[in-house]
Amino acid sequence: MTDFQQSALQLANKQQAATWLQPLREQGAANWSAASWPGRKTEAWKYISLAPLQQQSNLRWGTDADDSAVDSVEQVELDATCLVFVNGRFNAARSSALPAGVVRFSDANAEQQPLIQQHLGKVVDSERHLFAALSNAWVEDGILVYVPRNKKLDKPLYILNVATPEAESAVASQRLLVVLEEGSEAEVIEHFASDAREQNGFVNSLTEVVIGANARLQHYRINLEEENLLHVGGVHVDLHRDARFHGFTLAQGSRLKRIDYQLNMRGEGAHMELNGVYLPRNKQVIDYHTNVEHCVPNCTSNEVFRGIIGDSAKAVFNGRIHIHPKAQKTLAELSNKNLLTSRTAEINTKPELEIYADDVRCAHGATISQLDETSLYYLQSRGISAADATTMLSFGFINELLNQVPEQAIQDYLRPRLSSLFGQASERVGHLTYE
Amino acid sequence: MTEQVESLIKKDYAAGFHSAIESETLPPGLDEDVVRFISAKKEEPEWLLEWRLKAFRAWQEMEEPTWAHVHYPEIDFQAVSFYSAPKSMDSKPQSLDEVDPELLATYAKLGIPLHEQEMLAGVAVDAVFDSVSVVTTFRAKLFEAGVIFCPISEAVHKYPELLKKYLGSVVPQKDNYYAALNSAVFSDGSFVYIPKGVRCPMELSTYFRINEMNTGQFERTLIVADEGSYVSYLEGCTAPMRDENQLHAAVVELVALDDAQIKYSTVQNWYPGNAEGKGGIYNFVTKRGIAHTNAKISWTQVETGSAVTWKYPSCILKGDNSVGEFYSVALTNNFQQADTGTKMIHLGKNTRSTIIAKGISAGRSNSSYRGLVRMNPGAEGARNFTQCDSLLIGDRCGAHTFPYIESKNPSAVIEHEATTSKVSDDQLFLCQQRGLDAEKAVSMIVNGFCREVFKELPMEFAVEAGKLLEVSLEGSVG
Repeated sequence: MTDFQQSALQLANKQQAATWLQPLREQGAANWSAASWPGRKTEAWKYISLAPLQQQSNLRWGTDADDSAVDSVEQVELDATCLVFVNGRFNAARSSALPAGVVRFSDANAEQQPLIQQHLGKVVDSERHLFAALSNAWVEDGILVYVPRNKKLDKPLYILNVATPEAESAVASQRLLVVLEEGSEAEVIEHFASDAREQNGFVNSLTEVVIGANARLQHYRINLEEENLLHVGGVHVDLHRDARFHGFTLAQGSRLKRIDYQLNMRGEGAHMELNGVYLPRNKQVIDYHTNVEHCVPNCTSNEVFRGIIGDSAKAVFNGRIHIHPKAQKTLAELSNKNLLTSRTAEINTKPELEIYADDVRCAHGATISQLDETSLYYLQSRGISAADATTMLSFGFINELLNQVPEQAIQDYLRPRLSSLFGQASERVGHLTYE
Repeated sequence: MTEQVESLIKKDYAAGFHSAIESETLPPGLDEDVVRFISAKKEEPEWLLEWRLKAFRAWQEMEEPTWAHVHYPEIDFQAVSFYSAPKSMDSKPQSLDEVDPELLATYAKLGIPLHEQEMLAGVAVDAVFDSVSVVTTFRAKLFEAGVIFCPISEAVHKYPELLKKYLGSVVPQKDNYYAALNSAVFSDGSFVYIPKGVRCPMELSTYFRINEMNTGQFERTLIVADEGSYVSYLEGCTAPMRDENQLHAAVVELVALDDAQIKYSTVQNWYPGNAEGKGGIYNFVTKRGIAHTNAKISWTQVETGSAVTWKYPSCILKGDNSVGEFYSVALTNNFQQADTGTKMIHLGKNTRSTIIAKGISAGRSNSSYRGLVRMNPGAEGARNFTQCDSLLIGDRCGAHTFPYIESKNPSAVIEHEATTSKVSDDQLFLCQQRGLDAEKAVSMIVNGFCREVFKELPMEFAVEAGKLLEVSLEGSVG
């Protein structure tokens, strides 16, 4: 066990978790301490270094003492149930009243406890996902979203996680469990943000989702964080018969950001769509790993990830599609396109197919390039400066995915942020608007 | 797929016979003495022995790689014999007339022309039998053109300067586990040197044959194409049918100096094991070429044999404007496993690479494409196009794609595409409706699937490859 593993374990001892969560915590601790620490030769961590994390020697829990930071974080303007966490602590004052079916683990009643026990830590394979094991070991609080049969969550659920810097670097553990019963529907937005100050914390977030037969989840995970935050997260989803998962994710910021998407097609006719955008700048490192397990026949999956990597940033994309022997008639597609905009930027992509059934149609594609010269030339020939043309085309590259986001409020929230992000390069882009 | 196709009968592995030739075979086992023995047997100079020992010591420290998508029982290197040669070769025959007729009969049976006046007279052949080279044809004619084509064990004595300069320059001794093993115990193989500005007047080829039981074959090939030269080199191989697995760990190094071109084609038909997955060759091969300015290296491979294949012919595109190509058809049937692909390392400006990989899996086999395309910071304007397609025949096989794509240069452009599909009932129906029987139809569809690669093969090989595919696929279609 490394020092980091050791001190992370000790941190668990400082929690006061309910006894009914103990079995999961113990199992998590066991998995965490049994795991070998990933290095360059560990396939899943081949391209990124966990050194920034290991440098955090004195681990301690974050506090929500300074919740004024929340004011400096712009929120998505949405008619939604809003839950606010500061450094991993639930902030009741700034949160809406919890609607029926949404409950904190620590407030769960005798009916809800078994439900949580039934699913929490069961969707994720914590032997394969190191930081999921840590999350299990650290589980104390979290949010359960439960939608009963044929019901719909009235309003979208908007979960805002704000990180603020503390005197000494601190740790936040985030946990979300979504259980959709047969025929139900929900929309969940996870927004990870930080205030603009230089961060020094580490966020370990884990979302588990069970989508029952015919149920549907619209899910967003937006990671817009400051440069120095460290974030390891995962979204693990089980889809049952004819279930639908529509996901959108965007990542920016962090010296070390690793996000795993694991989608398990467990029932026939399930369908998932996942669009993702990563935009590392400066010295940021963003690593997306997606894995779709097609375990049963007649499922479909479609993934589109796009990235623009600038400055001295590094991005990693690993998209695996695994078709099990029984999963005949599967349709699976994956596309990953990248723009490298600087000489010191780096992209490593690996779209993987592992197929054990013959009657399937699977395809993946990956490209790495710079902006199309003829398009740039065309815009310049129309009197647009090279810088503006670059901004427009870069934005357009991402905008194709933004346009597909069903929630208008999220489009409206992200669009100006992204255009200003690309605009930074060209300075005088303020007057350009994109609609 | 249709029942009738499934019921087609599997043809036997045609090259699966064993020749009764008396051999001198080293007892199984591997230690420094074995390395010294091989070196002494070949009367090698001191530097080469040292070179081998260095590799051997490195190998002892190394671990067998397990990352490939193949499964096989651990290899007991102490149970393998590392040197075997026909006794008759001890007398060092000077011409074909002096070679043991039984040896010649083996090659005749395999259809390999060793008599220069024969039909396929346009091809010069170096025939390697277990650990030694039996005969190399057309040497005189080639020598006139200035081309050196001889067994590597002979080149050590005749051209030590070239050997010292280039041996291990592309695949260093410690490159990987099997390359280190090969560097320690390599027996024979071909050495080719094409002088400046020379276009090699004929196709060169090496034919590898494993004959003896419990032996491994560890050949080493080195091809150096000097500035502005051109060579096309073919490689073929077979082995007898046996229930034991035999090891084949080769190293091939290509050096294409400025403006040179090397075209390297392989038809790999080692014994694949029987329908129950028993026996067959473990084929663990390291092949790599380095391309200097404006040079071009083209790998074409048709992989139909071997129980387990682990092979990644690669190009280091070091010089500006150099070109790397990789065309591959990997066919696996029954219990065969193949993990093959390429690496294209772009170092120079405006380097270009093309990868076309076709995998066909049938029976209970697994075939994987594993590739790396890397654009280093200096690879200004570099370009790569990759296409990997897999065809699945039957529902118990697997086809996998593991492409690693890394770029550190914003002006480099990489495109990667992969698809997986099966021979569809619609396609079969259409062909059958036009009067083709199911077997022909499948063969036609598969041949069409591989066409892009076959057209890269030299003519003689293309015909052979097409036939091989038919033979290998028979009975598997289901």
